[in-house]
Amino acid sequence: MTAIALRAVRPRNLTARLGSREAAAGIGILAVLVLVALFAPLLAPHSPDAIDADHILGGPSWSHPFGFDALGRDVLSRVLFAYRASLGISIGAVALALALGLPIGIVAGYFGGVVDNLLMRPVDLLLALPALLLAISLISITGPGELVALFAIATIYLPILARVVRSSVLAVSRELYVEGARARGVSHARTIWSHVVPNALGPAVVQASVLAGFALQIEAALSFLGLGAQPPTPSLGLMLADGYQVLQQAPWADIFPGLAIAITVVAFNLVGDGLRSKLDPRGISR
Amino acid sequence: MSGRARYVATRVALTVPTLLAMTVFVFLLIHLVPGDPVRTMLGFRATPENVRVIRHELGLDRPLVSQYFSWLGGLLRGDLGQDYISREPLTQLLRERIPVTLELTVASMALALLVGVPLGVVAASGRRFGKVTASVFTIAGISMPDFWLGTLLVLVFAAKLGWLPPTGYVPLTAHPLENVRYMTLPVLTLAIGEAAYILRTTRASMQETMGRPFVTFLRAKGLRRHAIVYRHALRTASLPIVTVAGIQFGVLLGGAIVVETLFGLPGVGKLVVTAINQRNYTVVQGSVLVIAALFILVNLATDLLYGLLNPRLGGERA
Repeated sequence: MTAIALRAVRPRNLTARLGSREAAAGIGILAVLVLVALFAPLLAPHSPDAIDADHILGGPSWSHPFGFDALGRDVLSRVLFAYRASLGISIGAVALALALGLPIGIVAGYFGGVVDNLLMRPVDLLLALPALLLAISLISITGPGELVALFAIATIYLPILARVVRSSVLAVSRELYVEGARARGVSHARTIWSHVVPNALGPAVVQASVLAGFALQIEAALSFLGLGAQPPTPSLGLMLADGYQVLQQAPWADIFPGLAIAITVVAFNLVGDGLRSKLDPRGISR
Repeated sequence: MSGRARYVATRVALTVPTLLAMTVFVFLLIHLVPGDPVRTMLGFRATPENVRVIRHELGLDRPLVSQYFSWLGGLLRGDLGQDYISREPLTQLLRERIPVTLELTVASMALALLVGVPLGVVAASGRRFGKVTASVFTIAGISMPDFWLGTLLVLVFAAKLGWLPPTGYVPLTAHPLENVRYMTLPVLTLAIGEAAYILRTTRASMQETMGRPFVTFLRAKGLRRHAIVYRHALRTASLPIVTVAGIQFGVLLGGAIVVETLFGLPGVGKLVVTAINQRNYTVVQGSVLVIAALFILVNLATDLLYGLLNPRLGGERA
């Protein structure tokens, strides 16, 4: 809108640019976690699948700080590798939900009326089921697996993201500069692309960040029920489910993967909450 | 008042298509299974004769639309069909399990509200200590996967201290005290995470309300802070809390699936998980339908309560 003013006050450091310290901290943690996932083979002190029969359920030590699991595998190395599957499912699910949900929400919010009803009613039906129940109903059809979990979580998130972006587009579409663009003879497609979308995406970004964190929890719940990632792929949820079996003898096999999930959820939440004041001043994504 | 009556009527009427759509979804579940659901259900050792008999009993050899309507007709008469493994009527199976799930979720929501609302009020208007405690509680409650929290509770209260049983269930009607002992850990597991959400919503809503002109006016009038907060502001601030509690009840029903499995509670959630793993599709259908219907009814109740609390209700909100 006012490009000159924006250029004049553009903040210099990252913290100020993101709007808050929380967002900066969250992004920092997430960057580290993504790097951990990418470079797991280099970082892991041991192979995630190597079985040490002498140390089944062995406790933490200097060379194995997170201890061993029920098969004598190094828990730390497995956590590092598990971030790959868990972050993959979480980010993949949110990306897929955004790819499908944003266009629906944008078109519904911009055109309103009949178009809005036609697009949003079916989407709303997805919200009529409790999220986890929707996920496991879908999995009951196809059978469990990593990709299935990704699709199931995306299906839960699609209506949420579509709703958020619809509300935001609805508000932006009533702005004078949008009316102005239409009055100048700009096409609908162009108006949406260059005037509505840039100003309406903020709340969806905030919501997507928070949802990406919860995807890890859903993945964990699905794995615990035997409906998520399948062995031998290490995922944080699967490690939790396995760790529960040996809780009394080797609590570390359960506690460390749980902490790994909790930290990630906190990081995504920090990013979401931190960006909110900047990207979602109306509080649509709340 | 007529505006309010119209609101109630619209809202109740809107529930019917939602419920119908739900039945279609649940009905289609079994038909979306790739391949032959009966063959999947019975396993590889089933003879073609077996498969044919079950297909016929399930009505799968009839046209889809006629199947749907006879199934829906059964539903309306309270007949959900049969469990093909135990040969029990589903209605009976569900009637035993619904109270367990209801007790778990309702008790959890009640506890979450009991903890979350006062903490949220303190976080919005109290001293620094209260604010910090509330923040820590929110972050911990929201970030921990609920069954992991349950696992830790089991580790501390059942394994280490031995105060409470780790798994099992006694019906409330059979032995109320024992029932409470068995339900404590599952309810805590669900309630802690839930309380964090309620706290967060209450805090945001109270902060917003305390900044409104009417609060400034009451303060200027010389009303005591306590009275302003609890008698006036909280009532205004309760609308978003009601909405969030309604939405979160769905999360609780989902969480109940996990928590019932974790603690061995014989509820609808555990039933659906067992049924999915056994590929027992009629049971999956029945239990999904029951949980979904519960959720739709709770949403209806929430919206009606919202209507009751909101003095300015127009006709626009659906």
